[in-house]
Amino acid sequence: MSWLHSATDSPTPFEGVLGLRPELLALYRDFYGKLWDDALVPVALLDLCRLRIARLHNCEAEAVVRHAASGVSDTQIAALDDWGAADCFSSAARAALALADKMPWQPHAITDEDIAALRAHLSDPQVVALMLALTLFDMQCRLRLALGIEPQPATVSAPYSADAILH
Amino acid sequence: MSTTPRITTGKSGSALALVPSMNDAFWRLYGEYWSRGVLDERTKEVARIRNARMVNCGL
Repeated sequence: MSWLHSATDSPTPFEGVLGLRPELLALYRDFYGKLWDDALVPVALLDLCRLRIARLHNCEAEAVVRHAASGVSDTQIAALDDWGAADCFSSAARAALALADKMPWQPHAITDEDIAALRAHLSDPQVVALMLALTLFDMQCRLRLALGIEPQPATVSAPYSADAILH
Repeated sequence: MSTTPRITTGKSGSALALVPSMNDAFWRLYGEYWSRGVLDERTKEVARIRNARMVNCGL
């Protein structure tokens, strides 16, 4: 349970805590929601990276949120811990996951080759959007853990949207 | 730490400018955080600089 007193009438533990700053919550929801609403990057890539970063942080609160329509299979989710040896990921997914692995604690280890591998599949705007996504996924896990957000399993049509609640 | 962008940023020099919808949303959020709120700006700035040093971000 969070050590913060949550905002009242909040639909989820996460919104309950962030709702203590309602102006920031609204703007954060808008910012994070655009990543999914605008579909700047294939949703499957986003969701794979989100779940991988959640695993790296051992953040159950993020990992238990499932995106029903992302296209990520149960087989892929089960293989995320050892994605490099699995054969169920596309080359685009591998390029994205390689960066997801480095973003939380090794951003300085990201190489020109890592970016080149990603640019083989994504446009430059998409690469920027994915990098933003990785930092947001990393930040969100840290925020959940630091604030003691309770895991609340949820399967949603999209993890986040500017018009939806944050799980 | 390299300060050479890996992505062509165009005239703006900002990689975020390549994704204008997120760029705009980010600056609204960041602006709200810095310009208003319950925490004084000095504390925010100290935290920002400390974090930058911890992650060795020269920018």
